Amino acid sequence: MNIAVQHLFPASPGQLWGFLLDPKRLARCLPGCETLEEVAPDRYIAVMKIGVAAVKGTYTGRVEITEKQAPFHYKLSLEGSAAPGFVRGHAAMDLIEQDLGRTLLSMNAEAQAGGLIASVGQRFLSGIARQMVGQFFRNVEQELNRAGASAVPSPVERGFRE
Amino acid sequence: MHSDSGAGAQSARKWIGKSIPRHEDLRLLTGRGCFVDDIKLPNLHHAAILRSPHAHARIKRIDVSKALALDGVLAVLTGKEVRERTRPFSVVATSPLQYYCMAVEKARFVGEPVAAVVARDRSIGEDALDLIEVEYELLPAVVDPEKALEAGAPVLHDEVGSNLVCHRLLRYGDVDGAFERADLVLSERFVYPRYTSMPLETFAVIASYDHFDGMLTIWSNFMGPFIMHPITARALNIPENKLRFIVPSDIGGSFGIKTSIYPYLTLLALLAMQVRVPVKWIEDRREHLLASSSQTDRIGYREVAVSKEGTLLAIRSRLYDNVGAYLRTPEPATTFRPIGNAVGPYRVKNIEIDAHIVTTNKCPTGPNRAYGCQYIYFEQERLMDEIARKLNLDPAEVRLRNFIQPDEFPYTTPTGGIYDSGDYPRAFRMALGMIGYASFREEQKKARAEGQLLGLGIATGVDPSVSNMGYLTVALDPEVRQRHDYLPKSGAAETATIKMGPLGQVTVFLTTTPQGQGHETIISQIVAEELGISPDDVTVVDECDTAKNAWSISSGTYSSRFASVGAAAVAVATRSLREKLCRIAGHLLGVPAEEVEFQLGKFHPRGRPEKALRLSHVAGTAHWNPRGLPPGTDVGLQVMQTFSFPRAEPPDQKDRVNSSNTYGFMVDIAVVEVDRETGAVKILKYVSVHDSGTIINPKILEGQIYGGAFHGIAGALFEQLAYDDQGQMLSASLMDYKCPTAAEAPKIEIGHVVSPSPFTPLGSKGAGESSSETAPACIANAIADALSPLGVSVKELPLTPAKCWELMRSRSQAKETI
Repeated sequence: MNIAVQHLFPASPGQLWGFLLDPKRLARCLPGCETLEEVAPDRYIAVMKIGVAAVKGTYTGRVEITEKQAPFHYKLSLEGSAAPGFVRGHAAMDLIEQDLGRTLLSMNAEAQAGGLIASVGQRFLSGIARQMVGQFFRNVEQELNRAGASAVPSPVERGFRE
Repeated sequence: MHSDSGAGAQSARKWIGKSIPRHEDLRLLTGRGCFVDDIKLPNLHHAAILRSPHAHARIKRIDVSKALALDGVLAVLTGKEVRERTRPFSVVATSPLQYYCMAVEKARFVGEPVAAVVARDRSIGEDALDLIEVEYELLPAVVDPEKALEAGAPVLHDEVGSNLVCHRLLRYGDVDGAFERADLVLSERFVYPRYTSMPLETFAVIASYDHFDGMLTIWSNFMGPFIMHPITARALNIPENKLRFIVPSDIGGSFGIKTSIYPYLTLLALLAMQVRVPVKWIEDRREHLLASSSQTDRIGYREVAVSKEGTLLAIRSRLYDNVGAYLRTPEPATTFRPIGNAVGPYRVKNIEIDAHIVTTNKCPTGPNRAYGCQYIYFEQERLMDEIARKLNLDPAEVRLRNFIQPDEFPYTTPTGGIYDSGDYPRAFRMALGMIGYASFREEQKKARAEGQLLGLGIATGVDPSVSNMGYLTVALDPEVRQRHDYLPKSGAAETATIKMGPLGQVTVFLTTTPQGQGHETIISQIVAEELGISPDDVTVVDECDTAKNAWSISSGTYSSRFASVGAAAVAVATRSLREKLCRIAGHLLGVPAEEVEFQLGKFHPRGRPEKALRLSHVAGTAHWNPRGLPPGTDVGLQVMQTFSFPRAEPPDQKDRVNSSNTYGFMVDIAVVEVDRETGAVKILKYVSVHDSGTIINPKILEGQIYGGAFHGIAGALFEQLAYDDQGQMLSASLMDYKCPTAAEAPKIEIGHVVSPSPFTPLGSKGAGESSSETAPACIANAIADALSPLGVSVKELPLTPAKCWELMRSRSQAKETI
């Protein structure tokens, strides 16, 4: 499953970078995230509660950040499992500076699911992923607004494909 | 029911040929059937199985301590113990591949067992599975049989060294010469998907071990062939006479799938031997979809050489059969079962089959209704239509020009098949008449003018029944088969026991493990016919107990064998009982046995009905008065007889083999409409004409034909066991795996032609698979015809609405050379 998505944020690349790499603030924005604990530099253990159709589970996963080129690029790798199966994937994150102090975040992710989630929930997976990523971006945007970043026109989302 | 004059020969019979109601139905419809799940044993415990979520992964570590600590858990079994306590299952081909009942070191498909738990009840067992920790090292997976053979592809079995587990290049006749002479050569690549049978009852096993006398008893819904009995004994390292298989009287469908239950028999046996209490496992639907069995998926390249008159000169078939993660016996039987009928109903003399059997990270495959024939007819019948199109001939005419003619039977095919009887042109013309072929093209023209996509598809095929156990050894090189210590394989036998009590009533014992086919009814008709009694006077016990019944390694119900060999065994046993009765009656009446007439339950000397003796008098003599018997006659009235086909020989040095023993014929014709907007296919009319020799019970036969056709239609339009490219199964629920229901079931008009088989005592042939072999091709041809104004070609199944929609928007054309 390939997910390519872009979102315009009301913050400079530096501000957004600082936000996205702060586990505490990140944990508040990730849908279903119960804990996000830094176990080593750029390595985290996450516990997330996710439901895909009838297949609900609490996922324990490892998150790793590599290829850091602050504040423009990093790569996120994720591997999680729970009783209903596993998910794993990686995403290239690019922060592209725009006018009016805004930043376009471009995410290009490749994800794979296995076990019960794949065999029973496959039809819902891309929809759920789309919904979760959208929710995450909206949460980040709200947090940024709350932090007092300058007001910007409504965000643009586009480019999902599977 | 349409039938021709040939059926008239049956009218002299009183019970054979009658649609008497199925004896089994009362029991089944009132909930009194006996299935494995109905068996109650004291202190019964339950197994639950942990399965790999990964398609290809090394098992680094398994920690079962938390599971074992759970209250109610008796034992946990992992691959390590399986390897210590069993031998790998015997594999058909000369491949070093090792197959155990559980993943050993490596899991090779999603759903492969990696551990099993025995617990007080199933729910505790399932909870315990969650407590087992498995550490996997993920390996790259491959699911496409062609990609699996590319350099650098992940290799499933290191001991094999590649994913090619068996390869045979079989050549019959002068293929190259025929292609040189040809006026037209057509070639195409076809993709045939994986689908299954979805029996209502899933796999069910109970194992119990008596550690004092070493007797292992396994109850299951195993359906044969009983070659799996010695294979299981060997895997478990126990003497075969300490292994007892019991199959109850009722099995809720199988269609081939339950042949592949035997790894679970071994798994449950290991658990029962370990915990020393009986252990039961009933497969759930998700386990069934993920990890039971299915038909093999095939990529087939087919090339045909044709004369300008439309005569088929030669066939070249290069195929890649995807058997999944292991070569599980009886695979690669999919590839070799139809060897004898590889040319179908056509007279073509030259054929080449280049067979590649490939392992990939999918569930292992096995027998499924239409076993091996569906691919051949799909490819060949698609090309028959292409030949007609290229040569500007009528597709029906092209087939008529190629049929084997009625005066050519018994007909020996270039691959060694001996077709026993048939009249293909007559059956074919009957079907054309039923569908209204003469007026169809006019209707189609009108429909097209109105923008409708209307199409007609024809498919014909030879329906093989009763496999010759020897065909499987075509998988071996002829040099291997020539070694002095090689044990040749051949044969197709069934044994029946018939017993008459002192009052003249009959009990028949069989080990055919029926799965819903109505054997009890059919047997009662045959016995009633042969003895001149009523079917109600015949009790049939068709439960298999290998410790009590007469059985052979070919026992069971598979390969459409019952109406042919099962019926034959019952007929010959009944005839010998009748002879014995006449001998006794003759002795009592003071006349030679040949002069005894036996009618309506009475014996009398020919021409003197007033001197009649009742059946109970003659039968009673055998039981109560041995001194009244003719000298040299055994006391009692029990006859056990085996019927064995004499032409079921091992393959010869040129790989020719009579792979089955009776060969029916079928033609399916459908008219369909494809919705321009949605791609949905509607079957407007469907006819199916069959020749399966003498018909014993028309209602049961038509049930089989309807079921077979619908099974094939399901494969053509709906069903697919889908995987992603990493080997994750995408259709492991009945929401995702589309099984058609009554709502999708079309009306099917059935016609019969009767050409009795000269090789069976009753003239009957099997028909259990029948149109499941031809319906996929028939539907594909009808859709191709409907879409022909768009210039697209149909090469792949299933033709779901999405696929048809895509096809309507593509403009691909079959590759061709002239």
